[in-house]
Amino acid sequence: MTTRRHFLAGLAAATLSPVRSWASVGAPDFLAAALFPDGSYRLAGLDAHGAILFSLPLPARGHAAAAHPFKAQAVAFARRPGTFAIVIDCASGAELAQLEAPAGRHFYGHGAFSTEGERFYATENDYEAGEGVISVWDGTSFERLGEFSSGGVGPHDMRLMPDGKTLVVANGGIETHPDTGRSKLNLPTMQPNLTYVDLSGTLLEQLELPFALHKDSIRHLAVRGDGLVGFAMQWQGSQTEYPPLLGLHRWGEQPRLLSAPEADQNTLQGYAGSIAFSADGNTIAITCPRGNALHRFNANSRAFIDAFALEDVCGLGAGRDGLVFTTGTGTFGALTGADPAISARSDCQWDNHLIPIRSLA
Amino acid sequence: MRIPALITVLFLPLTAYAQDRAPILMDVTETHILPRFADLAESASALATTSQQDCAPASPNLRAAYGTAFDDWISASHLRFGPTEAEDRAFAMAFWPDTKGFTPKALSQLIAAEDLAVQEPEAYAETSVAGRGFFALEQMLYDPAFAEQGSSEYRCALIQAIAADIDANATAMSADWRVYAPKLTQPGENSPYRSQNEAMQELFKALSTGLEFTADTRLGRPLGTFDRPRPNRAEARRSDRSLRHVELSLIALRDLAARLSFDHPDIAADLDAGFARAIERAQSIDDPALAGVADPQSRFRIEALQQSISDIRTIASTELGQTLGISAGFNSLDGD
Repeated sequence: MTTRRHFLAGLAAATLSPVRSWASVGAPDFLAAALFPDGSYRLAGLDAHGAILFSLPLPARGHAAAAHPFKAQAVAFARRPGTFAIVIDCASGAELAQLEAPAGRHFYGHGAFSTEGERFYATENDYEAGEGVISVWDGTSFERLGEFSSGGVGPHDMRLMPDGKTLVVANGGIETHPDTGRSKLNLPTMQPNLTYVDLSGTLLEQLELPFALHKDSIRHLAVRGDGLVGFAMQWQGSQTEYPPLLGLHRWGEQPRLLSAPEADQNTLQGYAGSIAFSADGNTIAITCPRGNALHRFNANSRAFIDAFALEDVCGLGAGRDGLVFTTGTGTFGALTGADPAISARSDCQWDNHLIPIRSLA
Repeated sequence: MRIPALITVLFLPLTAYAQDRAPILMDVTETHILPRFADLAESASALATTSQQDCAPASPNLRAAYGTAFDDWISASHLRFGPTEAEDRAFAMAFWPDTKGFTPKALSQLIAAEDLAVQEPEAYAETSVAGRGFFALEQMLYDPAFAEQGSSEYRCALIQAIAADIDANATAMSADWRVYAPKLTQPGENSPYRSQNEAMQELFKALSTGLEFTADTRLGRPLGTFDRPRPNRAEARRSDRSLRHVELSLIALRDLAARLSFDHPDIAADLDAGFARAIERAQSIDDPALAGVADPQSRFRIEALQQSISDIRTIASTELGQTLGISAGFNSLDGD
């Protein structure tokens, strides 16, 4: 079956004009959602220096998007608790399909394509049960094919592991219900985890942090080519404590938690928004919009490298070299050496995430 | 240590730098925060004393003391940072919403085991957070399910233990708030806030999350959806306090909003008009437990109340937020 699918997809790419590649839209390096001065929310394609190559309207504030591995298509999610996502042809701006969460479910704002794009996976909330699920969609027709447990409560980010057969899911542990908006319903009893499942939903491994850190909500993920997983956290406990907001995990091993020196860690307000490995994979970084900071660590020695003050920084990704970031003030910058360099200022407010079009890590 | 590079990408209005926030920080701390926690400590102490004199669940004195202390907590509970948040105190005061029914479970377990933790305040403070605070006390005083469980002696001891725990918690918060106050009024070193703006942002967050909690949770939970209203999810419905909590929180938040917008009379007027409208709507509803969410006629009025709170949120974020340099915090306020 897979072979035939590959063949058909390849054929379509080779001979039929409707399937356009990323090159046809100016070969963007990144996708990001933003709020524009006219009040519109849009999904933009950015080049390596942050110049906007295209921008397409979204029906509401976006969150993350997922880029198809080779077609110029993106699935853009509404911010949680949205019940729909749209599949956009980034060449024409046309809406190709809508993903609608069935009754009793809403999306969390993150999803991932399979290696060849034949399947799409999204994190969802089964909100009456207060349990997380992963939904499975056909990557061409975007029909919903089924769902399986995410292995926890409040799944947020999810990534495909480099083996192409495993999903790693950040179950943030926070129960919410659409009747009560984004209110957190279970903070005293929350228990986040990091879960590895195969593509049919079999739970392969699950990691929980020690109980003292049960309020450190595991929310966002970055995966290196060799399978090292970085996870970023958001602290829901006392604001007079400054627990780690960044962890590294390799399947089958114990997690390692990374903190900056106290003076820097204490300014983060317990909140990391995005996480990414650098282009060479040797650096891992988190952005902390509440502390207006970006922290870099050595991904191998786990040593803290440095901290930068950046107003409302949140979007983060691997650039062609080093790291790139976006801010809620419209800035796009690169961090390749010792100091950040702003390469673009757009008249918009960049939203939480910067989505690389091709895996550079 | 290397000095972090400061990238000047701040698109804030210049006034955001120039203004001296010290008077507002001092005013909010001294006249809004500290008196609320002092009042709570006093009424919680009265509650504990009353429970020692009379622990009968239907006792008018005990119920009145419960009501006064709960009022004081609701009027302070939007200040959910610093000493309020430490050691899970806010949850130990009010474990709600309780989506999985942990409070009745915790109480039943204590009663069934005749747990001796009720004899020692320190031991009781170590029991499940769901069995502590005003919602646990409410069930003991008002829920028929607990009127007959176990022995009356144990139920009495449990009521007294919960009241004493509320008292200890309130006293600790009030004391710690007095110590914490200078961190808010004098940001910088020895403070979690590096600048006056950061301290202002903390207070603004208390206002916006307080409004959000009242609109989305206090009203949103019982409203549910039109096809599936959830009257049994109303806050403190057993003691008929659901609507009262909405009103008390609006009154407290109105006071905070007025102080935060002191330098901007136009915004202060907009906010005050918004609060006046919402409070008037709340006072015109005669439905203490918000049971009317299930009736289309009365539901409409509760939805209108919720809408009027959303309107205040919009004014707060678009007008007041701007003056505090918070408009730039597109991501920092997102929480995702």
